[in-house]
Amino acid sequence: MTNPEPDAIDRDLIEGLLRELAGHLHALAEHDLTGAIDLRSLPLTDVQLDGLRERLGRGEVSASFDVAGRSEVWETRYPGIWWIRHYDGLETVVVERIEITAVPEILRAGHADLAAAAANLRRELAVVEQDYRAEVGSHGGI
Amino acid sequence: MAASETIGEELLRRGISRRALLKYGAYLASLMALPPLQARAMADALAAARRQSVIWLSFQECTGCTESLTRSFGPTLEDLIFNMISLDYHETLQAVSGEAAEQARLAAMRENAGKYVLVVDGSVSTRDGGVYSAVAGKTNLQVLEETAAGAMALISVGTCAAFGGIPHAHPNPTGAVPVSAIIKDKPLINISGCPPIPEAMAGTIAYLITFGRLPDLDQLRRPKSFFGDTIHDRCYRRPFYDKGMFAKSFDDEGARKGWCLYELGCKGPVTYNACATLKWNGGTSFPIQSGHGCLGCSEPDFWDKGSFYRPLSATTAHPARTVGAAAATGIAVGALGAALARRAKHRALTGGEKS
Ligand code: SF4
Repeated sequence: MTNPEPDAIDRDLIEGLLRELAGHLHALAEHDLTGAIDLRSLPLTDVQLDGLRERLGRGEVSASFDVAGRSEVWETRYPGIWWIRHYDGLETVVVERIEITAVPEILRAGHADLAAAAANLRRELAVVEQDYRAEVGSHGGI
Repeated sequence: MAASETIGEELLRRGISRRALLKYGAYLASLMALPPLQARAMADALAAARRQSVIWLSFQECTGCTESLTRSFGPTLEDLIFNMISLDYHETLQAVSGEAAEQARLAAMRENAGKYVLVVDGSVSTRDGGVYSAVAGKTNLQVLEETAAGAMALISVGTCAAFGGIPHAHPNPTGAVPVSAIIKDKPLINISGCPPIPEAMAGTIAYLITFGRLPDLDQLRRPKSFFGDTIHDRCYRRPFYDKGMFAKSFDDEGARKGWCLYELGCKGPVTYNACATLKWNGGTSFPIQSGHGCLGCSEPDFWDKGSFYRPLSATTAHPARTVGAAAATGIAVGALGAALARRAKHRALTGGEKS
């Protein structure tokens, strides 16, 4: 079942949110200030939410990943305005928010994750090297 | 998990990235109506925190509160929440029993003295020294006093622990009282409901771990983020109420068309809880959406307020009458109040931060 078209009240509300987004975007461009709007905490109907999403459209970048449930992130037609949606393991939407930022924090690799990745990679390479030495050793060297 | 390990370290060890905490932070911020940019700070705080020791005591109760907490999230989020706490004692969920269980509680109290959170479900029997409810030869009253002494904070989950609930209902044969009537010298949060909404329980515990302090509470010590609005404020049938369109019986045309259930006894106008927004069973539905009025289960003495099926304004010989009448005559005020509250909330929900 598809939702009905937004009526005048819906359109007013969407316009209001767009104006707020424009303010955030200006703050990001001029003063490097990031912003966020939690869509699920606003008294929005499904029609209004769909209307806003359609109005913002999709831009060049989109990403999906699976950490504690699936997540979808996409840049809207307005670079710097990102739509972020998290699901839980039962495919229920648990977070729906807009972030006004150059790159959403959740797409960046965290510092601790980088350090752990470096250590892991080094450990894996050490194992490969060990295997190589063992193999070379068993053939009595070159 | 080693006691010294932080939540972030433990997740890393299991190959789960910081993104999981960012996602949980965003979820929690949304749930508790915190500024959305706090999600990142919450993720950082959670990563650096150690698992919170929790001792859970069950007194005069039906285990519905535990059922609610353990059965409502998608498995991935549930998993995360149980990673944040170390449930050191819970009679229903723990594997040990008998003497070993008692020792587990005493050991947790010793090891985490002054740092554990004590969660209680169920009311406390006080008549005749509290003999009507006892475990391992100790009355609930004794165990509560003993365990609360070393707690950092208490959380009374469910209407029984928060307000006395059904055991406290007339004629209250066991002299049941809420936890707050016994423990007066500790920070205490009430998360009422019969049972309470699981997100309210888990969200409040996560808030405590993240910020190390109590969330904002209402005059009944309930977290405002979950108990700040009435069911009526956020009810999807509200437009029918405002137009005076009421179902008169459970099978009439109005009921079939989803009109307001006020005249069928709905207690939504005087009940503070988040059922209308968070709903139940992973956001599936809530009583009013299923066609039944709100029983008012998160309010004190809900069981003794006359019939569940008598309209609020018709309730007689009870304090609820005054409140109900005020709610009935204050339609315009109520609607305006709700609109203003929404606007205030909207302001609180958006914001900017230097990146
Ligand atoms: S009286 Fe009950 S059903 Fe009617 S609008 Fe209020 S909460 Fe909803």
